[in-house]
Formats: sequence, structure tokens, C-alpha cells
Amino acid sequence: MVIFGFGFFLMVLRRYGFSSTGFNFLLVVLGVQFSVLAEDLFVFLTGKQSQVGLESLAKALVSMTAVVISTGAILGKANPVQLIVMTLVELIFFYVSRWINRKFLEVPEHLSAMHVFLFGAYFGLALASRFPEAPPGLDKNRSTPKSELFSVLGTVFVWVFWPSFNSILAGSEKMKTVLSTYLALAVSAVAAFMLSALTSKDGKFRMADIRSAVLAGGVTVSYTAELIKHPWIAMILGLLGSVIAILGSHCVQRCFNPALKLQDTSGVHFTFGLPAVLGAVAAVVLKVVARGTETQWNELSRLGYDAFVNIGAFCQTISTALVTGLVTGLILNIKLLKAVHVSKYFDDQSYWEFPHLSVGF
Amino acid sequence: MPPDFDTSMKFKFSILALLLEVIVIVLFGIFVDYDSNLSANLYPHFQDVHVMIFVGFGFLMTFLKKYGFSSVGFNMLIAAFGLQWGILMQGFWHMERGKISVNIESMINADFSTATALISFGALLGKTSPIQMLILTLLEITMFACNEHLVTKVFKATDVGASMTIHAFGAYFGLAAALVLYRPGLTNKHENDESTYHSDMFAMIGTLFLWLFWPSFNSAIAEARVTAIINTYYSLAACTIVTFALSSLVDKRGKFSMVLIQNATLAGGVAVGTCADLEIHPFSAMFIGVIAGIVSVLGFQFLTPVMASKCRIQDTCGVHNLHGLPGILGGIAGIVVTAIKTETRNGHVLTPAMQAAALGSTLAIAIVGGALTGAILKIPFLGQVSDQNCFDDSAYWEVPEEETVHEIHSSHRDEHSRFEAAM
Repeated sequence: MVIFGFGFFLMVLRRYGFSSTGFNFLLVVLGVQFSVLAEDLFVFLTGKQSQVGLESLAKALVSMTAVVISTGAILGKANPVQLIVMTLVELIFFYVSRWINRKFLEVPEHLSAMHVFLFGAYFGLALASRFPEAPPGLDKNRSTPKSELFSVLGTVFVWVFWPSFNSILAGSEKMKTVLSTYLALAVSAVAAFMLSALTSKDGKFRMADIRSAVLAGGVTVSYTAELIKHPWIAMILGLLGSVIAILGSHCVQRCFNPALKLQDTSGVHFTFGLPAVLGAVAAVVLKVVARGTETQWNELSRLGYDAFVNIGAFCQTISTALVTGLVTGLILNIKLLKAVHVSKYFDDQSYWEFPHLSVGF
Repeated sequence: MPPDFDTSMKFKFSILALLLEVIVIVLFGIFVDYDSNLSANLYPHFQDVHVMIFVGFGFLMTFLKKYGFSSVGFNMLIAAFGLQWGILMQGFWHMERGKISVNIESMINADFSTATALISFGALLGKTSPIQMLILTLLEITMFACNEHLVTKVFKATDVGASMTIHAFGAYFGLAAALVLYRPGLTNKHENDESTYHSDMFAMIGTLFLWLFWPSFNSAIAEARVTAIINTYYSLAACTIVTFALSSLVDKRGKFSMVLIQNATLAGGVAVGTCADLEIHPFSAMFIGVIAGIVSVLGFQFLTPVMASKCRIQDTCGVHNLHGLPGILGGIAGIVVTAIKTETRNGHVLTPAMQAAALGSTLAIAIVGGALTGAILKIPFLGQVSDQNCFDDSAYWEVPEEETVHEIHSSHRDEHSRFEAAM
């Protein structure tokens, strides 16, 4: 699902289809091997016996998602060498961040893995800010109906397999996670259409909005899926996720990106970043409410501590992601790695042989 | 532009969608809860069905040259809304102590119920607005749930792969609605009502996914699961061969037609649905598949043009031939099989009379319900498109402009392939 779905999801750019799917495949395959290694290394350092099984492969794939999301932010601006370096560095940092969360902030294993969206999105954003901005006249980063349709294919796959993704590491409550994710996704798909029509100029749907917002529900619910007691909570989270994704896409693109000189090619900030933050907040609220009703709201100090630790965990993830993303961005722009020239952005031709170069190109 | 052809979705659509969504969430809040012991047994089947609904049906309908966004997009909208509504509607028939408990099986059933709305969408493809589709989904799934209850609980008929309750129901519902929504302006073929090389390739993605996962679809809620898988598999394989053979036979110059390959190859899966889990031997499954292929190809070739001109039913996707006729065939196959052999399900004997009653009630409810829904959809302020904007994405979507270079290139490709074909 990660390979296929995200690969096509990133295929928005009109002349960058080969690179999107091709490099995505390369990165995932490489990253999975590397992250199994890294995981084992950590286990080895702490002196326990390591075991390679489906479990660890699943974990590796989940952490690869962080890398794929970050790739989305710098899509079309980095060359394969840069991407490979980025994969390796990002995976190490992600493990460190997870380890801190587990060790000091007592986040359970599978939830710490669910920080992928937060980490990936903000890492990618920080990374993108270190790449020179594309000149405004460049029209290669727009899409065509055909490339959009391929991208929708990817989105639909990600959408369909999202329940499996969320539940793969969940322990005992696997099927409940599946159900919550399913409902949240369904609601966010309907909400995406609604809001897309409401926010665009003449009441038309925009494919870009729909693509990002239908997935937002899945991101939002990923942290909280286990804590959800009733289906309607999941549905409301899906609705909110979708709202925040679409409003986010409008505000962020208008005010935030120009101010920080950010260029977020496939909109990972509002597809994954903002809904993930919402999900994290929702997780804290739900946890506190659940604990509160258990104890009849008697141990308020204990509650406060819990909330504090949870908020701490996700602040730590974001800040680690931002800082390490910046550092990685600096590393990637070293001369040695031959950064792509600005005018060559978003173009397949630099890396691929074309079957029909004679026509039109 | 006259006011009834105002295609702006800004407030009408958003308000309707928001309202429906709020109602659904409130109803979920009151009635729905998680099942206390959830098992993961059915999860792989659920995933297969889920892929079929969202990828398969969505991309199957992308064959129109300027309607790809709407096909996939609205498919997702309808299915996402339909599954929530489906859980509620089907749940109301199985309520325990005022609560609907949801588990993986109810997710599968909810996905099934959206299939009816998607099939009807196929018949109306290109001629309706998203508002109309939301209303149609709402009404159709309500009626579908009632009919399904009637067939499986009152008549106690078998319909495991849902040839009758889903395929025939969805197809005739859509056709009846299309009859009421007949557009005289489209009698001469609309210029966008055709496919291009690329759009046919996209549609083929959908076909392949549907074809691959059809055995799961027919066996998802079956008790004799392996039998259902095997029967569907053979039926589909036989149907595909026959489709290729006939497609070449009915064409003037003996060439294959992509429309037939996309659609008629799936007819075998539809037709075998009713008796998939019965002990019919593989040869009869293949026989059903062969008949379905023949019926479907002949339907596309001869029946659809006649229906469009004489019966005033404009069936964009040809759902009558893919789902309607094979669905009825499946119902008849069910009658025949139960008449020849004694089969029991859950301790009661299946009788041909009850199978016939199930088929009859399905068709009757579908046609009456479809006509009524069509009449409701005719209310002028639902954002219908004008005749000349039919089959065009840009009525409802912000479409990125086509690259001019690309067009030159693709027309070049077309010429090239035509040249090759001429050789």
C-alpha cells in the first residue's frame, strides 16, 4: 500500500510521473531494509535478542511512511542521491525521536510509531525551506487531467488501505481501530466534497482539495483509534480533520508559505501535518476524559500530569522533526551532492530516458 | 444561462451534504456502537470488496473522454456517503435492544449496499449533478435495505453474491430513473459521449480490479466460502473467453471492441452470484458464465441502441447489459438450480417459488422505486447540467488545462495506432 498508493499519490506534476513513482519505489525498498537494521541495532544496543518477523517489517514500513511524506514536500526538487541521503538520515532521526518518546515520555510502542505523520510532514517542511525557491514563471509544477487522474488512483488506494495501516501495529483492539478508521474516512470524504465546493470561487470542486482532505480523516484518527469508545466520535474527528485540511490548504498557501519562503509541492503540510496535530490534540482530550470519568474527576493533578506528558510527546516529535529537517536540508545542499538547478525542477528528463523524446519535448 | 441550469454547487450542495452528514452522525451517536467481540476473520474479504467498490467501480466509469474526474470523484462521494447510510439502514432491520452493533460483516454489507447506488450512477453517468446523486443514494439505499430484508428474511431465498438484490436492483433502478430523466436533446450522440485511447486504458484498470476481486465479492458473506470462490472463478474465466470470441464475431471487420472487453468480461461474475455457494458443479458455473457473456455482448451490440432510440432510456455505461441482464440470468439460474436439486440453507429448503418471488419483488421494487426517484430528481433546482454540458467535467470541477504539446502528441499517437490498425 505504501509503495503503490503513495507513489501514485505523488504523481501530480505533469512532467514528473516517472520520477514520482520510480524514486518512491527505490526509497521505500531501501528504507525498509535500512530501518529493519536500525531497529535491530537499537535492540542490540540495549542488550536484548532481536527477532526479524512480520512485526518488524510492518514497523519498518510504517516508519518509511515518514520518509515518503517528506519526499512529497520536496518533490521535484531533489535528485536521487539527495533523496537517498535524506532517507537514511531521516530514518535515524525518527528512531531517535521514537526512542525518546518511549523511554522518557512513556508513549506505548504502536502509538509512538503513529507519530510518522507529524514527523514526516514537519521534517519535510523544514527540509523544503532549505531548498531554493522555484522561479514563479515555471509552469511545470501544474497538473494535467491525466496526471491528476493517476494521482487520484493513488489516493483511492491509500484511502482504501488506510484501515489496515492504522491497525497494523495496534494490539488487542485491531478491529475496533479498523472500524473507527473506516467511518472517519467515509465522513471525511463527504466533508471534503462539501468544503471544496464551499471554498472555491464558483462552487466547483477542486481535485487537489479532495485528494488531500479525503485522507485527512485517516490521519486524524490514527492516534486516537484505540481510545474511541463510540463510532460517532470517530466520525466527528473525520469531519474536523477534513475541515482543517481544506481550510489549512487555503490559509497556508496564501499567507504562510510566502512569508516563510516555503514551497510544499504536494501539500504535505495540510494533508498530513495539520490533521496529525489535530489528532494529537484529540488523543490528549480523549485520554483525559477517559481517565477523568474513570476516577470521577478526583485526581486532577494526576490528570494534568498525563495531559502534560502527552502534549510533551508530540511537541518533542514536532521540534525534533523541524530541527533535524533543517540540519538535513543544509547537508543536502552541499555541493558534493549536485543539487538540481532551479530551472530543471519538476522535470523527469534529467533522470529518465524517454521513449518519445522527439515529439513535443 | 437559465437558472435551472445553474451548476454552481457552492451553497446548495454544501448545505445538503452538511445536513445529511450531521443527521448521520447524530443517528450514529444514538444507535450505533461497536460490537463487543470483534473478530478479524472477514477482514481480508472486506479489503477486497473495498478495493472493488472504490477503485474498481470508480475507474470502470472513467471511459468517457472528459468525465474522468467526475466518475472517480463522485464515485467516492456516493460510496462514502452510501456506506454510512447503509450501515444505518441495514442495521435498523437487525437492531438489538435499540442498538446497532457494527463489526466487519456490517462493513462488508455496507459496502455492498453502496454498489447498488454506484450501478445506478453508471446508468445516469454524465447527466446528473452531485446533489441529485446524493438524493438518489439516500433513497436507493433505503429501498435496497428493505428489499434485501424481504428477499433474505421473508422469502428466505438465497442470493449470496447478490446477483438479484444488488446488480439487478441497481441496474433497473438506474434505468427507471434514466427513463424519467430522459433528455431529448441527447438523442443524437453527444460529442463528449465517447472514449479516447487513454480514457479506455483508465477504465481497464477498473475492470481488472473488479475481475480480480470478484470471487471475494461473491463469497464474502457466504458460508460455503470455498465453493463460492471456485464457482465465480470458473464462471469469470469462461465468460472472458466468450466475450473475446463474440466481440470479434459481431464486429464488422472482426476487431475487438474495448467497451465489450471492459464490461462483458465481468458479466460471468454477476450471473453466478445467486447460486455461487450452491453445489453446482464447475461445468455449470462455466455454463452460466458463457451464457452471461453471450447475453451481455449481444445486449451491448443490439439492445442498447434500440433502448436509447425506442424506449427512451439512455444508459451511459451500459449497466443494463453488465448488471441488469446477467443479474436476471443469475436469478433464473437460482430458480433452475433449486428446482433440480434439493438445497438447504440454515435448516430450511430452498424452493424455486421463493427464488422466483425474490426475483420478482426485486425487479418490481427497483423499477417503481427508480421511477419515483427519477421524478424527485426532476425538481428543477438541483443543479442539473444543460444538454450541451453533459459528459463534461468542467461543469463541476476546476479542470487543469490540457497541455497543448500533449494534445499534439496524443493525436499523433492516435494516428499512429490507426495506421497500425489499418495494416
